[in-house]
Amino acid sequence: MTRAGELIVVACAAVIPLAAHHAFGGEFDPYRPVLLKGKVVRVEWVNPHTWIHVEVVKPDGSKEEWMVEGGSPNSLLRRGVTRDSLPVGTEVVVDGYQARDHTLLRANGRNVTLTDGRKLFLGSSGPGEGPPPDAAPLDKAKTP
Amino acid sequence: MSHGWTRIHTDILALAIAAPMWAQAPLSQTKPYAPPRMADGHPDLQGTYDLATLTPLERASGAKAVLTKEEAARLEAMAALVRARGDQAISGERQAPPKGGDGSTGPAGGVGGYNTGWLDPGSAYTIVDGQKRSSLIVDPPDGRVPPYTPEARKRLAALAARPTSDAQESNDPGLETAPGAYDDPERRPLGERCLLGFGSTSGPPALPDYFYNNLHQIVQTHDSVMILTEMVHDARVVRMNAAHLPGKIRMWMGDSVGHWEGDSLVVDTTNFTDKTRFRGSTENLHVIERFTRVGPNALLYRFTVEDPATWDRPWTGEFTWPATNSHIYEYACHEANYALGDILRGARLREKEAQQK
Repeated sequence: MTRAGELIVVACAAVIPLAAHHAFGGEFDPYRPVLLKGKVVRVEWVNPHTWIHVEVVKPDGSKEEWMVEGGSPNSLLRRGVTRDSLPVGTEVVVDGYQARDHTLLRANGRNVTLTDGRKLFLGSSGPGEGPPPDAAPLDKAKTP
Repeated sequence: MSHGWTRIHTDILALAIAAPMWAQAPLSQTKPYAPPRMADGHPDLQGTYDLATLTPLERASGAKAVLTKEEAARLEAMAALVRARGDQAISGERQAPPKGGDGSTGPAGGVGGYNTGWLDPGSAYTIVDGQKRSSLIVDPPDGRVPPYTPEARKRLAALAARPTSDAQESNDPGLETAPGAYDDPERRPLGERCLLGFGSTSGPPALPDYFYNNLHQIVQTHDSVMILTEMVHDARVVRMNAAHLPGKIRMWMGDSVGHWEGDSLVVDTTNFTDKTRFRGSTENLHVIERFTRVGPNALLYRFTVEDPATWDRPWTGEFTWPATNSHIYEYACHEANYALGDILRGARLREKEAQQK
């Protein structure tokens, strides 16, 4: 592949939201886009998907608590993320689509960012890949 | 190409290095290595291993079996670049996504998935015998799963409505042609139901899912070996030096018995059910795995699968399992699996809307 071809591949991969492990298209309604701005009130750091609860203040002053579906928390842990990385009160911006059942205040976290657009959870340590087989011995490669 | 970005990505990368095949995949020749041993004298295979890799199961048609160091470095740098781009900030003042969908296809179903920060698809090609491999499959020599038998093609056409355990992802409802695919929870893929991981993570054979949650832990005693798969928390217990269970006893991950051949643990698995159907196989699937410690921080995992009702010959793959200091985070999938309920609710609403039209 040419360099130009490589760049196209990279560019495309960078803008296509990544697919998840279940039927997102079955769960969420493409005709109900949402943009949620609010404070984190609770995070369920659980599998198969993390749920971030966000309190949104509506124009009339009333409040709604939305649940935003994220990915599996396991990979985040390996990037150095803990419960403390997203404390209650953090202001976030979420774009996504509401659940097909509109009685549910649930949306997919197509993009979850801080108010300045930084993607959550990133900028910490690198991904926790295993070492190459010829690497120096690990201190604790074995389980206890 | 309907199985998510990772597969697309690896296909494209594999195509990038496609060339006339001049070399066949060499068989593994493990270097002399004195592994640590258990009290019974057998090698100690215990540890936690990270199966994430960029090496796809199947090689691109016509590609070489082994990547040069330069090719591998370039492709690994591309993968790192893709990840870095995905991690970049976007506007905090952005608008809601487009009404009618964001154009994402496949399982993202027009509503998108989530950011790269959640994912861990692998960053390097697997190294076996000092070679960067372009596929896990080494036999057939073209690195491809053998074609289905005519019988299997006929059977699979009839079973198209039923997702297999290794279905990478479920389908977008817009693309879902199987009637009744959303009728009840049991029609949904096993991964979506928190029963087994997708991509044959539990196996056998245990394969990378090229997505996330790639850890496997081995705990070993004289009488049994336990292989814990992070996703979806599947524990397979291998009974050592035992006979297989009677044929009427069937298990989703099969019945695994093991023995030692020299310093390799050989695990033989039969007695599958028809609920998993690895790559469309029948319950008579037979999997033979070989675990060999090849260094202080690595196992070589080699597997052969056979099912004459599905493929006209057995096929074999191998890849390195590098040890990791990371811990397995308990999967506990059911307790917050709101998604499955939401998906089924969505299906009922779509049915109601269709009736009203």
